[in-house]
Amino acid sequence: MTEKNESVQKKQAADVELTEDRPVFIPAVDIYERKDAILVRCDMPGVDEASLDISLEDRILTLVGCQAKNAPEGHELLIGEYATGIFRRAFTISNEIDHGNIKARIKDGVLNLELPKAEKAQPKKITVQAGA
Amino acid sequence: MYWPEHRTGIRDPFSELRTLQREINRVFGGYGRGVADFPALNVWGNDERVVVTAEIPGVDPKDIELNVVKNELSIQGERKADALAEDVVCQRNERGIGRFIRTVRLPFDVENDKVSAKYDKGVLTVTLPRSESTKPKKISIESA
Repeated sequence: MTEKNESVQKKQAADVELTEDRPVFIPAVDIYERKDAILVRCDMPGVDEASLDISLEDRILTLVGCQAKNAPEGHELLIGEYATGIFRRAFTISNEIDHGNIKARIKDGVLNLELPKAEKAQPKKITVQAGA
Repeated sequence: MYWPEHRTGIRDPFSELRTLQREINRVFGGYGRGVADFPALNVWGNDERVVVTAEIPGVDPKDIELNVVKNELSIQGERKADALAEDVVCQRNERGIGRFIRTVRLPFDVENDKVSAKYDKGVLTVTLPRSESTKPKKISIESA
């Protein structure tokens, strides 16, 4: 894990304030584009399907995941290298997305999101007919 | 690593100081490798056991190896790259991959065979019970 040292620690967002006093983190993401879809993969440890909120509004995709507080009862924190809080990240998506067919799945703290491109945004081959 | 000397039920006036000490240890400890070690660990403890938690999203639990020797726990494993189809174009790649290893010294020896670990939602939790031989014992004095 040496190449991406800067992304190993959770990045904290500076400009977001919540009513609840919990830190807001920027989760690391991988984004891939396929001809027919955009694939988003996002690290959100401690987040499950119930605590995850995904919205797509006016081309802005927002991912919000609340981490479970994992402090064991009756124990004192001896070494604290990370805090738990809220993951939040927003993207502006340039392509038209088929809102009805978005697929999201979270497993082992990794969110997999598939945003299929709308029919009209997909490249179409135009066949040229020979002039009669 | 330190261990709190006394714990009373009342509010501990030194807890703030210990938080500060923990921060200093975190920044300056660890053989100069600093804060960028993966995975970040939280260590919790009381008189009976130590609980170590780490955020390691997207790893097969079979790829994580835990070793306990006396009072040291080492966590190693590998985060693998995603298998992708050929026609996919990468737009953004921030998630780290590769092998990792962390070793943490615990405040006391632990019962090696009673260590338990679970991996849930990308968070690894290791529970290490304190070794019986290191628990404080009351010694009764016989009068001659």
